[in-house]
Amino acid sequence: MTLEASPEVESRVVDKQLALVSVEDVTKHFPIGAGLLGGGSAVRAVDGVSFEVRAGETLGLVGESGCGKSTLGRVIAQLHPATSGKVIFQGQDLVPMRGEKLRRMRQELQMIFQDPYASLNPRMTVGEIIGEPLKNFGLARGKERSNRVHEVMRTCGLNPNFLNRYPHEFSGGQRQRIGIARALVLNPTFIVADEPISALDVSIQAQIVNLMEDLQNRFKLTYLFIAHDLSVVRHLSDRVAVMYLGKIMEIADSHSIYENPLHPYTKALLSSIPIPDPDLEAKRQPILLQGEIPSPVNPPSGCRFHTRCPIAQFPICSEQVPPLESKVDGHLAACHFAGQL
Amino acid sequence: MATAPSDYVFQDEFTADSTYETGEAVSLWKDAWRRLTSNYFALFGLAVIVLLLLVAIVSQFWTPYPTWKQGIGPTYGGPSAAHPFGLDQVGRDILSRLMGGAAIALAVGLGTALLSSIIGIALGLLAGFYRGWVDTVISLLINVWYGIPDLLVVMLFVVIINSRELKWIIVAISITAWLNMARLVRGQTLALREREFVEAARSIGTRDVGLLTRHILPNALGPIIVQATYLIPAAILFEAFLSFLGLGAPPPEPSWGAMCAEGYKSLQLAAHVTLVPAFALAITLIALNAFGDGLRDALDPRMRR
Ligand SMILES: Nc1ncnc2c1ncn2[C@@H]1O[C@H](COP(=O)(O)OP(=O)(O)OP(=O)(O)O)[C@@H](O)[C@H]1O
Ligand code: SF4
Ligand SMILES: [Mg+2]
Repeated sequence: MTLEASPEVESRVVDKQLALVSVEDVTKHFPIGAGLLGGGSAVRAVDGVSFEVRAGETLGLVGESGCGKSTLGRVIAQLHPATSGKVIFQGQDLVPMRGEKLRRMRQELQMIFQDPYASLNPRMTVGEIIGEPLKNFGLARGKERSNRVHEVMRTCGLNPNFLNRYPHEFSGGQRQRIGIARALVLNPTFIVADEPISALDVSIQAQIVNLMEDLQNRFKLTYLFIAHDLSVVRHLSDRVAVMYLGKIMEIADSHSIYENPLHPYTKALLSSIPIPDPDLEAKRQPILLQGEIPSPVNPPSGCRFHTRCPIAQFPICSEQVPPLESKVDGHLAACHFAGQL
Repeated sequence: MATAPSDYVFQDEFTADSTYETGEAVSLWKDAWRRLTSNYFALFGLAVIVLLLLVAIVSQFWTPYPTWKQGIGPTYGGPSAAHPFGLDQVGRDILSRLMGGAAIALAVGLGTALLSSIIGIALGLLAGFYRGWVDTVISLLINVWYGIPDLLVVMLFVVIINSRELKWIIVAISITAWLNMARLVRGQTLALREREFVEAARSIGTRDVGLLTRHILPNALGPIIVQATYLIPAAILFEAFLSFLGLGAPPPEPSWGAMCAEGYKSLQLAAHVTLVPAFALAITLIALNAFGDGLRDALDPRMRR
């Protein structure tokens, strides 16, 4: 009855050392106020980002609002064309792909959206929404398609009797399940989940996270899981990348990030998370960052964090861009004084 | 590799909605219909439209007298039992001609609304969806077209086609009437294409045609229908105006506009020849506009919960 692993999924190699997606020096600039001859400025939403997502893992992508997480996710999912850089997926660069070739590629590469209200067409029934990907790729028709839709709905915890209902008749959590079912029905390898739970009630968030983890195990999925808070991705990420103002500040496996953060920004983010244990909570000393997040139109020179960094040293921090480099085995950080806070 | 999947089927979250009858969708259209039917002015409009439609259909099979037959009774004969609306300047039965005129008015109104909507929707969708040079070309066409008087376009068209048959009149009016629809649909498309569900549709491999027909168009349907409703009275009025000028369908077609024009010469002698078709025209226009307003209010998203 359930959508059991098809032969295709069974044979899916999940070697967690292999990169499934490689993002290479990707930038995404949104021009603003550009005249006919150009010359306007741009929002540098993503400004030179490189990392890889390994097969079968969940990579958490974390950062404050407006730091460019969604933009990066959309660039990887090819919903926004990158301004420059490469997104290598299964050995092919997706960035220059257009038309039918790109469309075909989308079968493997899906997205789950933050807003379960805005991301479902209000004029389509749940059955039409979940069946549309199959229709687009001519994968199943008629009875076969509806069977498959039923199956996926059940897998995602939706009652297939609700096939003919419209999205507005469902709760936020159920809508998010519809969004997940729509992404899952194509049997993708890689899913970009853009804050899939942040719009939901706290009581429902855990259910959706559990569903996503479960699906990952059954279908050998690889996730890029975006969140604006380190606590959200803690227990579901294999590795975590921390983003600030369009750049990756630190990337390492979850354990190292949480136990031994090297970047002052990551430290500050972690110190702001309340601890459930009252004794530890009493001892927690939040590192308060001064000032506002600078505008991505005019990011600070050198290290973009220098305007708010508690350990910044001048002039080096405001003049030299710290490269994102390995500090201790595979733990990358972009800071001239990594680990010194 | 795979861990035992937990069964999600009957979770708490589910039960919240299971009080609904399965498959009974409370659609947005039903909602709009309820609002429309509680608006008396719009209902009056609807009633007149239905009556008009019935009369138009009946006129195709039966009228008290043939619409073209002259000398049925005294020229300029006033209302009587045999001729409730009297007779015109050549002794034709005005009631019969009024009925035939209803069919012409509706054919022109509906035909023009349909044809010009198709043109406007197609161009608006293309301009709003593809933007860039496609939009530049279409927007330029719209702006230039706005500058050219409609009457001039229709006259040139009629001259070029060299026919004043009703179907060509409909085509002629349609090619002047699509501009507002195109603008409306372009604006709607520009806004809708940025919506997340359109982006989501793209991510699941929906082709442009699917994005336009399944995602963008259905979500713009409310304003499109309202706009199309307003096109009907505008086209009827324009046709009446053309006929009044002698540019419409040729005699003896019983166009209301032509009837007004013919009676106009003898307004003081026999006012009913002009007043009856003029009154029919006015009632029709008021009814259609009332219905359009009602529809607009019923479908207005700002009034939605
Ligand atoms: N289509 C766009 N046009 C212009 N600027 C944009 C566009 N999309 C995003 N931006 C800008 O790019 C920056 C990054 O936005 P993005 O949505 O990627 O941030 P985010 O990290 O996802 O934030 P949030 O947590 O609020 O979702 C912001 O300054 C935003 O205003
Ligand atoms: S490079 Fe300098 S400013 Fe940037 S995080 Fe490190 S110490 Fe702070
Ligand atoms: Mg976002």
